[in-house]
Parts: sequence; structure tokens; C-alpha cells
Amino acid sequence: MHITSLEGFLSLVRDELGLDTAGVEAADADLADLPGWDSLNLLRMVVLLEEHGRPVPVHRLLQARTLQEIYTFAKE
Amino acid sequence: MTAGHGAPGTSALGPPLGEPIAVTPQGDSWDRVRDDLATLGSAIVHARLSDLEGHLPSGDGLRALLGRDWTRYLDLTHADVRHRYAASRMLLKYAAAAVLDGDPDELELAYGPTGRPYLRGCDQIDISLSHTDDLLLVGLTTRGLIGVDAERTDREMYDSGLGRHICTPYELVLLAGMAPEERNQGLVRLWTLKEAYSKAIGQGMQFRFTEFGFGPDGRPVRVQRPDGTEGTGDEWLFRTVVLDGYFVSAAVYDAGFGPLWDTHITTMLDQDCVEAVTEALDREDTARHPAGDQDEEV
Repeated sequence: MHITSLEGFLSLVRDELGLDTAGVEAADADLADLPGWDSLNLLRMVVLLEEHGRPVPVHRLLQARTLQEIYTFAKE
Repeated sequence: MTAGHGAPGTSALGPPLGEPIAVTPQGDSWDRVRDDLATLGSAIVHARLSDLEGHLPSGDGLRALLGRDWTRYLDLTHADVRHRYAASRMLLKYAAAAVLDGDPDELELAYGPTGRPYLRGCDQIDISLSHTDDLLLVGLTTRGLIGVDAERTDREMYDSGLGRHICTPYELVLLAGMAPEERNQGLVRLWTLKEAYSKAIGQGMQFRFTEFGFGPDGRPVRVQRPDGTEGTGDEWLFRTVVLDGYFVSAAVYDAGFGPLWDTHITTMLDQDCVEAVTEALDREDTARHPAGDQDEEV
């Protein structure tokens, strides 16, 4: 799975982090409104993006409010 | 993490932090919470989400309980997230009301720039909140600052490559020196300590976790520099306990004020503020009733 599309990214998050990202609304949901999201998952996201060749530093991810924003950072 | 190092929680410095106390809103353990706060200057309470469900009010009752958090509550769309949000605020307000001898509905939670909660108008008591899975945790202190955190002891961290994002070089060496089956729990313990400390200082993860660390369990716990040398003194108290499959850590900054013997809400006003208001009222009274003026206001 590669981070080449938002759909692919959401699938990756679902498979690797175990978060419910079904439905397009998950991309725009506030992270605080995403069941299971916590600060440890934020760090797991850092590792996940690194492993897929899209490193985003922690301080940058802390600015993201949604998965869509994280995806945007990863594409930059 | 505990094998050969003593049980978690044996490593506090200075005045001890008490065991987390199980509570429910109408339960009978609030006296223990008040006792801990009075004698130790801090108290930690916990509850299960499932145990609070029957106590959560609905409609106007919930709105009154949540106060200014009501709008945030309405913004949450997922039922489970909403439920946890309401339950955690209820626990926090009940805990604060118990030690302040006040009404939970009358207490107002506010948040600092980094999201750190505090009790508006009661700045002599500090609070911290944590929840994970079914466990809700609240810390209270009159000593200065408090941060609490909880995490499942078996949450996978070490094999996920998280260590280098969490640990100092010294901590990585310590973990590598542990038996393989102990490394994950060792990392989870460090994580909860770092979360608790960063919450206490109001930084959260803005303060890079790789830039401060903690030593192994079973010894006095202090904040360390990345190379393992001592970073803070005994003004910081730490404690970690294992509670029903969770690591629970607390960090308390002791500002040196000592425990407050009276935490009633009516006596929790900042003394400097009270004196300033009293002086202002006295000046106003003198201006309106100069010496020799015998008029009486009714």
C-alpha cells in the first residue's frame, strides 16, 4: 500500500493503526472525534509515514487537526 | 519492567503520592480522596467508563454539568467519543467538588493555551485528566502542578519502532539491557511518566520526549537529561503503579507551599486577590462615607 491517494492513506491508517477510517467523512473529522485516536497513535503515524517514505516530523503532525491535513503534510 | 527492580510505585521521592482511589459519583470513597489531599497534598482517583454510565445525566442536567464544555460536547459526532468526553468531565468535576466541598455544576473547567484544564477561580488546586480504553483518571494537588497518565501495560510500543521517538539515548540503552520480554512494558512505563510530566508542565508533546528521560523502576524517579544525568531535583514527585492491567503514572511539582488543610471552595480564593478586593471596597466605602458622615445606607 502506498500513500498515493487519500483513499490509500485512509486504508493504510485503518490497517496499520486499527482506526475506523471507513467513509470519506473520516478524513475531515477532527482527530479528537476519531475513536481510538490518541497521542500514541500520533507517534505511530510518524513511524508509519517514515516507513512509506513520507517522513513528517512530530511537531508538524501536532499542527494537524484531521487525517486530511496529515495526508497533505505527507504529500508535501 | 518490575522484575528485579521492586514493584512499580516504590520509587517516589519526598512526600508520597497515594494509591489511585476507585470512585463513583455517589460512592463512599470520597473521604479517602479528601484525606489524601489533606495529608499528602495530592490525590489520584480512577473510575471505569462502564461504572459511570448509569450516573451520567442527560438533557439539561448534562448541559448544566458540562457548562462551557457543552458546545465542545455537541461538536463531537461519534457516540463513543462523546460519551467518554462527558464521563471524563463528570469524574473531574465530581472529584474537584468532593475536595472543595462544592457543587459539581457550579465548578467551571477552563483550558490553557495548550489545552491544559484548570478550575476557573480555584487556582490553589491543580487538576489533570487522562483516559484510555475504559479507564478514566483524575489527579488533584494543592502542592503546585500535577499531571497524570494511564496506558495499557501490554500496548505494543517497543516492536513498533516507537522507542527512538520517545526515548533519550540513555533510556534506549537501559531498555536494550532489559530482558526482551520486559522491554515493551519498560517503554510503556516511560511513556506514561513522560506524558504525566509533560501534562504537568502544560507542554504535552510540544516538549520533545527524546529530550528528557527517566531512570529504571525501583529507584527514586527524577527527570533526567538525554545522557542520563539528573535534570531536576526532589521538587518533582513521581509515582507509577500497575492498576488492573494499566500503568498509571503521576507527576507532581511541589512548589513548597505544603498541604492545604482547608480546601473548602469558599476559602480557596487567592489570598492576594481577596486582599486587593477588600482594600478596593474599603477605599470605596471611605470615599462614600467620609469621616463624620453619619448617613446610613439601607
